[in-house]
Amino acid sequence: MTEKQRLVVIGNGMAGARAVEEILARGGEQFTITMFGAEPYGNYNRIMLSEVLSGNQSPEQIFLNPLDWYAEHNITLHAGTPIANIDRAAREVITQHGLRVPYDILIIATGSHAFVPLMDDLRDSAGRLKEGVFVFRTLDDCQKIASYAQRSTCAAVIGGGLLGLEAARGLLTHGCEVHIIQRASSLMNQQLDTRSGALLKAAMEALGVHVHCDTQTSSILGNRNVTGLKFEDGSELACDMLVIAAGIKPNADLALRCGLTVERGIVVTDQMRSVDDSCIYAVGECAQHRGMVYGLVAPIWEQVRVLADNLTRQNGDAAYHGSKLATKLKVMGVDLASMGRVEPQDEHDEVVLYSEPKRGIYKKLVIRDDRLIGAILLGDIGKSAYLMQSFDRNTPLPGERAALLFDIGAGAKQESLQDLPDDTQICNCNGVSKGVIRQCIAKGKRSPKAVMEATRAGMGCGSCKSQVQELVTFFCAGDSGEDFELINQETLYTPLTLSVKPCADAKSASQGQAQ
Amino acid sequence: MLELIAATATHCPYCSLQCGMYLTIDEGRPAVAPRDFPTNRGGLCQKGWTAANLLAHPERLTTPLMRHSKDDDLRPVAWETALERIACEIRAAQECYGRDAVGIFGGGGLTNEKAYLLGKFARVALRTPHIDYNGRFCMSSAAAASIKAFGVDRGMPFPLEDIPSAETILLIGSNVVETMPPVMQYFDEQQRHGGSLIVVDPRATRTAQRATLHLQLTPGSDAALANGLLHIAIRDGLIDHDFIAARTSGFAEVRRVVASYWPERVERLTGVPAKQLTAAAQLLGTAATAMILTARGTEQQSSGVDNVLAFINLALALGKAGRPSCGYGCLTGQGNGQGGREHGQKADQLPGYRKIDNPEHRAHIARVWDVDEASLPGPGRSAYELLDTLGEAGGVRALLLMGSNPAVSAPHAGHVRKRLAALDFLAVADLFLSETAQLADVVLPATQWAEEEGTMTNLEGRVLLRQRACDPPPGVWSDTQIIAGLAERLGYGQRFPAEPRAIFDELRRASAGGIADYAGITYERIAAEDGVFWPCPDEQHPGTPRLFLERFATDDGRARFLPVQHRPAAEEPDNDYPFYLITGRVMAHYQSGTQTRRVKELRDASPQAFVEIHPALARRYAIADNDLVRLTTRRGTAIVHARLTTTIRLDTVFVPFHWGDEDCANRLTNPALDPVSKMPEFKVCAVRMAKVEPHETLIRAKGAAQ
Repeated sequence: MTEKQRLVVIGNGMAGARAVEEILARGGEQFTITMFGAEPYGNYNRIMLSEVLSGNQSPEQIFLNPLDWYAEHNITLHAGTPIANIDRAAREVITQHGLRVPYDILIIATGSHAFVPLMDDLRDSAGRLKEGVFVFRTLDDCQKIASYAQRSTCAAVIGGGLLGLEAARGLLTHGCEVHIIQRASSLMNQQLDTRSGALLKAAMEALGVHVHCDTQTSSILGNRNVTGLKFEDGSELACDMLVIAAGIKPNADLALRCGLTVERGIVVTDQMRSVDDSCIYAVGECAQHRGMVYGLVAPIWEQVRVLADNLTRQNGDAAYHGSKLATKLKVMGVDLASMGRVEPQDEHDEVVLYSEPKRGIYKKLVIRDDRLIGAILLGDIGKSAYLMQSFDRNTPLPGERAALLFDIGAGAKQESLQDLPDDTQICNCNGVSKGVIRQCIAKGKRSPKAVMEATRAGMGCGSCKSQVQELVTFFCAGDSGEDFELINQETLYTPLTLSVKPCADAKSASQGQAQ
Repeated sequence: MLELIAATATHCPYCSLQCGMYLTIDEGRPAVAPRDFPTNRGGLCQKGWTAANLLAHPERLTTPLMRHSKDDDLRPVAWETALERIACEIRAAQECYGRDAVGIFGGGGLTNEKAYLLGKFARVALRTPHIDYNGRFCMSSAAAASIKAFGVDRGMPFPLEDIPSAETILLIGSNVVETMPPVMQYFDEQQRHGGSLIVVDPRATRTAQRATLHLQLTPGSDAALANGLLHIAIRDGLIDHDFIAARTSGFAEVRRVVASYWPERVERLTGVPAKQLTAAAQLLGTAATAMILTARGTEQQSSGVDNVLAFINLALALGKAGRPSCGYGCLTGQGNGQGGREHGQKADQLPGYRKIDNPEHRAHIARVWDVDEASLPGPGRSAYELLDTLGEAGGVRALLLMGSNPAVSAPHAGHVRKRLAALDFLAVADLFLSETAQLADVVLPATQWAEEEGTMTNLEGRVLLRQRACDPPPGVWSDTQIIAGLAERLGYGQRFPAEPRAIFDELRRASAGGIADYAGITYERIAAEDGVFWPCPDEQHPGTPRLFLERFATDDGRARFLPVQHRPAAEEPDNDYPFYLITGRVMAHYQSGTQTRRVKELRDASPQAFVEIHPALARRYAIADNDLVRLTTRRGTAIVHARLTTTIRLDTVFVPFHWGDEDCANRLTNPALDPVSKMPEFKVCAVRMAKVEPHETLIRAKGAAQ
């Protein structure tokens, strides 16, 4: 047996842990695996953090890999142990405490941290964030925010993007007055166009959230703890709590220090390998692929599949070609879905637009060569499941664009039996149409029972018997024969008078036949 | 008013519901009359009502046919000549290529007696490992999943009569309104009692239209859907911790896996809105009793076993198994789909649901058959693998086929036809000259249901009696007579009885002590008790209508949770083949249509194959209702009429599989196999379509005329 390769993974978040899972799912016997996580937990589902903040889920409910999972799979996990350096020459990682661990293959999945914009008086003299100021990134952050919000009356959130709105939602459930401070001119400017951003703002405001767009914070007021914000235009806002949710910044310092190419993130090939070192891979929010850094889970899981295919040699041709971005969320009761490019790129792109501001509904599709390349749905996202799949899979779209925005024809009102055309099937089990029943009645079968026996309508599962009865009543128009009798809905079977051959007879018959 | 007609109590020849019926003979003409039996309570669908029309059908085979060489025509011959030829070809193939060069392909419509005898014939008279049957295409995924989770595979571990008392039912990949209509009585009653029916199907089928809630999922996303429902159930506190602790094992790992299936992700994978997922989880989780039932839609996929396991996980986590009016069940398809898989017709199996690679099981069967255990072959190839290697080096060279029509019903049917044609020798026993029989060197005319005696085991695990009601046409033999006749010519005559009761008695001994134990079942008991549920180890035992109430059939008595990840279908739509193709059945027809296409009433009801297309999608290709459409996949082409309907997804088309020419759906389907069950992926592949222009139609018509 060949000696096992030493696989070291820095980062135990949704990318790192998932990468190891994918490797194990492909066998992975060729590796001894060691993982380092900065947080003292197993891996948890970051997607669900806002659910924890709003109290819908407990922290235990969002764990993806509890600590015993690592033991079961013979993975050495150093939780709460950040890596300080990578010694590429020696092929070793070095922990903060100086422990050196050798690797044959290294996966960097260090993720990202909260981006904190430059603002005056943000930190205390020790360099810590002022009391009452939080970033929104980890499970710890989440729990701290939730507990601080209990005694807060007015909270500000810097950042009007996805994360900022989720933070605002969480704070609102703790009973705070909430202000969103957004530098751009509209909310969620990454995912929405100006008009839908404005509609979302109106919806947020209707729910009691104060939204300040085109507003940049210059400094944080308060001596020991936050008491307010001061903006670039000189105005101020009083608050006793601040959550910074202004975006993410890849954790690439470690890579930078050991000489790997880092732009916004660690630059990787289509195999998720560093462009500088064939033993080092990077996945997740710390990686930069074809100029893109991804912060959503779906692209990251696509990356780790490619990585696992390559490392385990299950599919040496596996390559990552970038991901299509789509998000769907509910912000304080407002349903929202956004995918791809929300503005046309040139005059050939087709834009389909529906706007109903009064009800807060906005739908926009951007179509190129009959394929959906982007969409926004706000307020009514009934079609989002279909549109998101069309977008993901590049499916050719049907000709009528309206059908993409609305459920046309669905739920048409039930016509009465009498108005239905003759070819309408009444009895599915026996294929009997309304016309056949009409003819049967015309030929003199003037009771439900007679019609059923003649056509066998209602003699399968029996569920159409009431319709047969209704048709007989209608076609006979009060002139039914004297044998008209109602059918019992509960029983289907009309006994025949038969002389049934007992089982023993069958036996003798069969013996007589044997040849 | 009183008229006395001589009537024989029997069952419908078609699906696994096995509706009770009487066969009456009035002035020599056989006819069907309804019978109040627990499966159908007197109801019959159009197939059942017209079943007797095939007994005296003009196209009925009444004499053996044989061709002397491959370019010769099939011509009538005497039985003696036909059987001698088959025996001779078997000997020749085995002398030339070894024992394994002979194979058997059976069917899920054959009686237990035939299935048992066929399995014994392969192992004792031919000593070949290669026997499998079309039931592999039917329920093998559900069977494998049930064995893994519960330790036993009986389609439904409870009788149909329990359905009305379930508060919520989740029905996945099943269009029972069309495929087994009379069973709707139970679902209707359930809804009349205020129960909810949730139907999971890519089409708004007639069944889905009668549901409380319809989840119109993307083809092939079943496991993601099931995991998503379980995720929501955990999130919303709907799971039954006491049940999980007391009756199951392995939940922690499943919980961990489904943590990654949050509703928005599952919506994107399945196309089912998160709101509907939540509604479904709530309906299931808050109900006091619930059932989860699967059928071919979710099972006939290359991830079929995983799909079923994912739904079993959901049932177990909700505590909806092993309790009255609760449980997971599979709605088997073929008439004897259940019994056909229990008694040795499957490549890896021996009677009584024993395993052919288990030394104890082998020893028991060797004793019953009075042969040396070492002489029993090991496991053979699964159905598609068997067909795929016909006529090849190392493959089967001479094949005996009964009760099946794989030239129409196997996936990648065009290829399977070529493989059948590549055989040195093919013998087929059937009622009619099916598409497969047309390829045969010898065709043997076989009896029909009403002309023979035997037992069937329906979807509930209820063993039923098929009684002989009329004589077969002169010159027609039963399958058991054919097998006995061949065994005699191969030198094993005394070991193969032809009389069904004698075979059943042997089957009872062979199954004794096995999982599917029939030892206590007799023809008389079946007739007297409206069927007997297995296991029934002795004649005093009442049979077992409900399994698992005390314990599951695993070693420790606990049901097993098994973690499942979503895997995409083997072939997903892409730029070249941009849509999903799904296949299924229509009410008027059964399987490859060999029988039902020959019944006038059924042909009138459903004369031809069709493709269901959403009108918005059809317009894109300028296809109008009833236009001819050419469907193409990586495996073949089919030409069928368009049927425009808004009941189908915009990215999916549907074709029924009952036809055998250029309208054959299985020329298109993908033979990618489930790694465990070897079930082919009939239900999902990628297709492109084009309208067949009128001038092409003209050319085609001329071609056909010449």
